[in-house]
Amino acid sequence: MANVFAFVESRGGDLRKVGLEATTAARMLADASGGGEVHALVLGPPGIAGKAAQIGQHGADVVIVVEHPDLANYNPEVATAVAADRIKSGGYRAVVFSTSAQGRDIAPRVAARLGVSLVTDVLSFEVEGEAIVVTHPVNIGKVIATLAISGKPAVIAMRPNVISPAQNAKAGRVESIQPPMDPKSTRVVVKETKQGAGGKLDLAEAPVVIAGGRGLKAAENFNLVEDLAAAFGNAAVGATRAVTDDGWRPHSDQIGQTGRLVSPELYIAVGISGAVQHLAGMRTSRTIVAVNKDKDAPIFKVADYGIVGDVFEIIPALTEAVRQAKKHH
Amino acid sequence: MPDQTRLVIPSRHQAPLPLQQLLVTDSPDAEAVPMDVLFVGGGPAGLAGAIELANLVRRDNEAGGTLGDVQIGVLDKAGALGEHSLSGAIVNPVAMRELFPDLEDAEFPFRAPVDGERVYLLTGRHSIRIPTPPTMKNHGYYVASLCEVVRWLGEKAEAAGVNVFSGFPAASLLTEGNRVKGVRTTPTGLGRTGEPGSGYAPPTDITAQITVLAEGTRGALSQAYLEWQKVPAENPQIFALGVKEVWETKKPLDALIHTLGWPVPLDAFGGSFMYPLTPNLVALGLVVGLDYRQTTTDVHQMLQRLKLHPLFRPYLEGGEMIEWGAKTIPEGGYYAVPERRHGDGVMIVGDSAGYVEVASLKGIHYAMQSGMFAARTAFAALKKGDTSAGALKQYDEAVDASFIRKDLYRRRNMRLAFQKHGFVVGGLMASLMTVTGGRFPGGKIDSEPDARVPRAPAPAAPVAPDGKLTFSKLDAVFKSGNATRDDIPSHLIVGQDIPPDVADLYAHMCPAGVYERDGERLVVSPANCIDCKATDVIGPRWTPREGGSGPKYRNM
Amino acid sequence: MKIAVCVKRVADMDVRFKISGDGTSLDEAGLKFDINDFDAWAVEAALQLKEKAGAGEVTVISLGADVVQETIRKGLSMGADKGVHLKADRVPFDGLVIAQALAAELKTGGYDLILFGKISPDSSNGVVGPMVAELLGLPCVTAISSLTIDGGRGTAKRELEGAQEMVEFPLPAVLTVDEGLNTARYPSLKGIMAAKKKPLEVKPAVLPTPQVTVRKLELPPDRKAGRIVGEGAAAVPELIRLLQTEAKVL
Repeated sequence: MANVFAFVESRGGDLRKVGLEATTAARMLADASGGGEVHALVLGPPGIAGKAAQIGQHGADVVIVVEHPDLANYNPEVATAVAADRIKSGGYRAVVFSTSAQGRDIAPRVAARLGVSLVTDVLSFEVEGEAIVVTHPVNIGKVIATLAISGKPAVIAMRPNVISPAQNAKAGRVESIQPPMDPKSTRVVVKETKQGAGGKLDLAEAPVVIAGGRGLKAAENFNLVEDLAAAFGNAAVGATRAVTDDGWRPHSDQIGQTGRLVSPELYIAVGISGAVQHLAGMRTSRTIVAVNKDKDAPIFKVADYGIVGDVFEIIPALTEAVRQAKKHH
Repeated sequence: MPDQTRLVIPSRHQAPLPLQQLLVTDSPDAEAVPMDVLFVGGGPAGLAGAIELANLVRRDNEAGGTLGDVQIGVLDKAGALGEHSLSGAIVNPVAMRELFPDLEDAEFPFRAPVDGERVYLLTGRHSIRIPTPPTMKNHGYYVASLCEVVRWLGEKAEAAGVNVFSGFPAASLLTEGNRVKGVRTTPTGLGRTGEPGSGYAPPTDITAQITVLAEGTRGALSQAYLEWQKVPAENPQIFALGVKEVWETKKPLDALIHTLGWPVPLDAFGGSFMYPLTPNLVALGLVVGLDYRQTTTDVHQMLQRLKLHPLFRPYLEGGEMIEWGAKTIPEGGYYAVPERRHGDGVMIVGDSAGYVEVASLKGIHYAMQSGMFAARTAFAALKKGDTSAGALKQYDEAVDASFIRKDLYRRRNMRLAFQKHGFVVGGLMASLMTVTGGRFPGGKIDSEPDARVPRAPAPAAPVAPDGKLTFSKLDAVFKSGNATRDDIPSHLIVGQDIPPDVADLYAHMCPAGVYERDGERLVVSPANCIDCKATDVIGPRWTPREGGSGPKYRNM
Repeated sequence: MKIAVCVKRVADMDVRFKISGDGTSLDEAGLKFDINDFDAWAVEAALQLKEKAGAGEVTVISLGADVVQETIRKGLSMGADKGVHLKADRVPFDGLVIAQALAAELKTGGYDLILFGKISPDSSNGVVGPMVAELLGLPCVTAISSLTIDGGRGTAKRELEGAQEMVEFPLPAVLTVDEGLNTARYPSLKGIMAAKKKPLEVKPAVLPTPQVTVRKLELPPDRKAGRIVGEGAAAVPELIRLLQTEAKVL
């Protein structure tokens, strides 16, 4: 029997999906270790306690809630103190974070305070006797490392989108605690959290990426790609170097050798021929779909599924079909 | 059929060598970095020279000499040593043994010793084994990757205290009167129209008592020096373009292979090679003289076609091309070596001096040996305190008394016979020269600069790339490791009003797809350039650009 | 202002990697090494702060075998003043081990700022900076994309997923640097020459026993061949079916 601790990331009073992924992962780990409890921690402004039930639905036996008006923004020192204190006194087998910007900030602090090491960007985990064995991509994903963690607790941070949040309702008993120090008095203070343009999903974290290339013929036609992304609801829009060089899309949207490297569950390449430089940026995507009018385009060699034909006919049809499919979820 | 009524003569469309840019008379900047001897170029010639000089100085100091601290510098335009190095290569170890007498052959950065070689005459569908010509026998030599050799020499140079500056191309010679006083490097971080951007760093001046030009094939500063000083040669230098690929193969290769004939047209000179670096790591390439007679002759495309030939295909099927590149080779031989390869404060070594023997495809050991001769001359000059032409003349004398001159002289007319007489007659003449040790036919055969050779437009015969065995120029350039900044200013000087036939010539000449014909006009993508220098020979002039630009060869 | 920058020597990632004999390390033959890009941005940030203040000292520190001295010299060529080489046979994967060795060295340095790159692309763990901060009891801000320091206090911006945080902190502090903070300067020729004369201290690193060890390294499996599902809009229903039932991404 071994309990597992999960850190549930939130922002502005809402839980983030990666937080539920961490909860689900913790549940899986607890079950694999002989069936212990999952204790999840969430911090936030007043109202965050209302989200505890959702965490319970995803497998938490206990949800520790730190609710405070000055925790509308992330506070690394408060979060670290609460987590470390609780983990120290709780005898947990493992601690699960997310490999998000916040997760990368808090997980190492907590581990160091506990005197243990950690592995981030974890793809899979297994309990092997006294060790927890994880896989973790190294060398920009060109090599996969299998690592054994012998420390107790074993601290891991999951790669986003690897574990799907799963309903597995447990008691979700809420424990409300006060921050151990006044959040305004910490040395590091987050003054403000500004949403990006339209709360766009970041290319690196979106589970679905739709990328457009020269085959779209003009900058205005990118609305086809944006509509398809909207139909998915959890998709980010990317572009090839050719179209970012021509100014159709900002450089931060460029996927490729010298641009962004993405590894979503689903990558849809629209009007992209598949120059080697572009492929370097997305070839580790789990499923690749290509739509192009040229049946000899190199992209079809890396795509799992391809449709040959006119993107201006196919993409709107695909968008409608995705909308319908999502409706019946 | 080639259209003989629309002959293209490349020299008519070429800009002249930009001497005003390559030679400067400004006083060196007050912040100039002072060196004693500067080797311009970090290839086998420059590095062997630097190592030899460092050893000579060290031994002299240990024996109580008074030279003291001699600052030796090696400048290289590539981001790291070896990244612009490319050759077949089969290396004669003689120079390496002389430079490192305490090392065994097995410790040299070579791959396997040559074990078996076969020569074939190819047609479109067949290969006919022919006896290995004596000029091409390679027994006792080693298969090597020049990149590996250069990286290894670079480590030895740094261990010997040589200052290696990679990523610093020499843009101009600093001159005063007839003397070379050093070089000025290129600036970094200029935008497309030449204005300084965020990463801007200005040029740096480096002064040196002696500058050794080891720029390799078609060196810009070497050309500028020889033209400025009006140094004659009996024949102009002529060049071949080699396009090379490195493959990981499933079927092992057990011998060196050389071919003649197809796909090189009868009115061009060239052949192919395939060498095992290991049985399953193969270097193959096609080398064609740039005096070819049709505007649409395209060495990269011919190489793609070659790979589909029944002699080559079985080795490559199921394998993977891991690297691609190209480079020119000076082929003028003995008669194209400049009369004088030294001057006040300067010496010219290696390919820049034309020390390449075409019939046996050798140049690396000549490059190293000439670098070492230059080092010995530099050492003597520093000790004497005299770095004038009179003191440096000893370098020419050493080269001329050595196997470098002897080897080049023996084969002096072989390549030239082909230029004048074509494949069949040239081949017969070459055989006669071999049998008679060069004595017959003996007198010098005249040659023309490649740019003056007229070419006729002919239909192009491109290969549709399959992405497995054959590749487009765009995909090929990617495999050269070229990631040059897209908004770098163009380093190529294009002539005025380039007509469509000439645009075709450029598009086919360039292996990296820098030039394209778009309707009636020429489109230039200078960032694709991999510094092979073919353009400098028959197309737009090549000039030095920002350090680290160009290819990043690892196994060439 | 005294600034320390911790740097790592990493291999060029633009190659195909090969696993070496024992299966737990990479074949280094033919690999090219250089300073981690993120660490170069950290060095650049330190140099800019020193230049802005008109005075100060930048120390570059690295852990590893003798070859890491090349990386320290790169920092010196860019303009750093001193180097410290913490000598160890190899760099372990375990971030806590590295952090403990670095913290032991940094503790007595009296640094106003200690900078790290956010992550290095080889081990890809991204933990050493904040762990060092925790061990030294110093405030820490990670993944900064903009920075100003004024009179003993600093402001930084952090990039989140689709959002940004504006953060304030006091000195001394530990910061980890993200892409976009600056562009690292190339060493000038003069800088390269000057670096040869700058002090580079070598000390043995004290490495505790790791809690994370490499069991094995593997290349990811090759993708299976794909297929063309059909032509035109008529192929869409079949694609949807495959995405739902076969790929299970919809």
